[in-house]
Amino acid sequence: MTVSTNDRDVPTKARTSRTLRLPPAFWLVVPAVLFLAFFFVYPLLKLVAISLPGGSIEYYQQIYTTPVFLRVIGETFRVSLLVTVVTVAIAYPYAYAMAHSGKTTLLVLTMALLIPFWVSLLLRSFSWIVLLQNSGLVNDLLISLGIINKPLRLIRTPLGVIIGMTHVLLPYAVLPLYSVMKKIDLKLMEASAICGASWLKGFIRVYFPLSVPGVMAAAILVFTLSLGFYITPALLGSPRDMMISQMIAGQFNEQLNFGLGSALAVTLMLLTAIAFGLFGAARALFQKRAHLAGGA
Amino acid sequence: MDKLRRILFWIIVGATAIFLLVPTLIIVPMSFTTTAALEFPPVGFTLDWYAKVLGAPDWQAALVNSLMVAIATAIFATVIGTAAALALHAHEFRGKAIILGLLLSPMVTPLIVLAVGMYMVFAGWGLVATRLGLVFAHTVLAVPFVVVSVLASAKMMNQSLVPASLGLGASRWFTFRRVTLPLIMPGVLSGAVFAFITSWDEIVVSMFLADIQTRTVPIMIWQQVRTNLDPATAAVAAILIFISATGVVLSYKIREARS
Repeated sequence: MTVSTNDRDVPTKARTSRTLRLPPAFWLVVPAVLFLAFFFVYPLLKLVAISLPGGSIEYYQQIYTTPVFLRVIGETFRVSLLVTVVTVAIAYPYAYAMAHSGKTTLLVLTMALLIPFWVSLLLRSFSWIVLLQNSGLVNDLLISLGIINKPLRLIRTPLGVIIGMTHVLLPYAVLPLYSVMKKIDLKLMEASAICGASWLKGFIRVYFPLSVPGVMAAAILVFTLSLGFYITPALLGSPRDMMISQMIAGQFNEQLNFGLGSALAVTLMLLTAIAFGLFGAARALFQKRAHLAGGA
Repeated sequence: MDKLRRILFWIIVGATAIFLLVPTLIIVPMSFTTTAALEFPPVGFTLDWYAKVLGAPDWQAALVNSLMVAIATAIFATVIGTAAALALHAHEFRGKAIILGLLLSPMVTPLIVLAVGMYMVFAGWGLVATRLGLVFAHTVLAVPFVVVSVLASAKMMNQSLVPASLGLGASRWFTFRRVTLPLIMPGVLSGAVFAFITSWDEIVVSMFLADIQTRTVPIMIWQQVRTNLDPATAAVAAILIFISATGVVLSYKIREARS
């Protein structure tokens, strides 16, 4: 398909050297950059400015000394961590099935993964409320199976939040796992079986270590996205176990404490940036390792 | 033992697939229930909830707001996003990675942070409670999708065609219109669909920027869900899903037709 790769540079170079100017097409990036500078970067910088009135860090001090804020940040970490563990654990066998089965299975599993992607998070949380309410399908099912005899409280609990968030985040965990797993050769498992290892031992010693880069990528991605969740915990959780996003919204909507709200927002922004930085670093590390292994 | 493991494995995978699909699939049937309470499985069949919603002035107003904002966002984001993607594709320059990073970063910024930041800034610019403010906010969220989508199709293009056209004496504008644009069209159109859906489904930022006159359908749903759950909400949800699904099918058809 592609005939050559470098031809497009030729006129660019010719013109640049002749007129010492970038050719017109370069300027096409300017409207988008200016637009985002005004409507994206400036609002974020504005929050930083509001959170540091006259350069004072009082709002940050207030966050780090007030138990209720620390509890909300702790709760955000706790829920994110739990969601990460549950999501990756469920995604692992699913990605395995996608990576090592026939075309039809792959198609069905991919469809099941991508269809929810096209329905907004709000509508899926709404759907979970209906499913998890006291007279909902889940409770009816559990009662008719005789597992419980009176309805379980599922919404307005941390469990409801974890179910809803896991549902939203599952595709983000399955896709990186799948892309790593499909490169793992199952013959390695056969070889370990021939050498006398049980399936479990082969899995623990051979397959799992090879899948670790996918597990890491999936875990960090899910964790990072979890930190900023707002709609799902607001609809499925109780105000008692609120997450940092709800706290931020509350400071702006109800308390009208913009300085403190901004400081919380900047804190969330930094936490997310750090987590994404880790994501990038982990990926670079594994790529380097894969490169070395390939070269050896 | 081996067989047992296999059965257990497929039960887990099957249960996960059901877990993924059920919340999505129950919404539409729920909207046909004849009961006053929202429940699944639905009882009977009626289109009354659709009639109720489509006849209510506040839902009508929200639907009009949503459509206007989403269409304007799709056009605006597609124009500036496509231009930026083409410039990034055609040139190597210092700081390119930074510009690409800037263009994509709205995708990973927590929505609540964007919402409150925009609220503070837009208030000073008189953009709060206006449709234009919503369009600008949604465009920020939609640009990354357009850039990614157009960049992907620009990379697939035969790279010698543009130099060939220029070398044969065509102007840059002519080359863009007759060579580049037709080749990247699938990327541009699916970027536009993504941008439309981003705006159509957006709730967090809109909640901070809209008022009762400019509120969109997701905001109405949010308010309904927090107060009372009735099947009318499911009917609106079904309408939202129907429009998104139309967009998705459209973008697949475009891709198929072009390849």
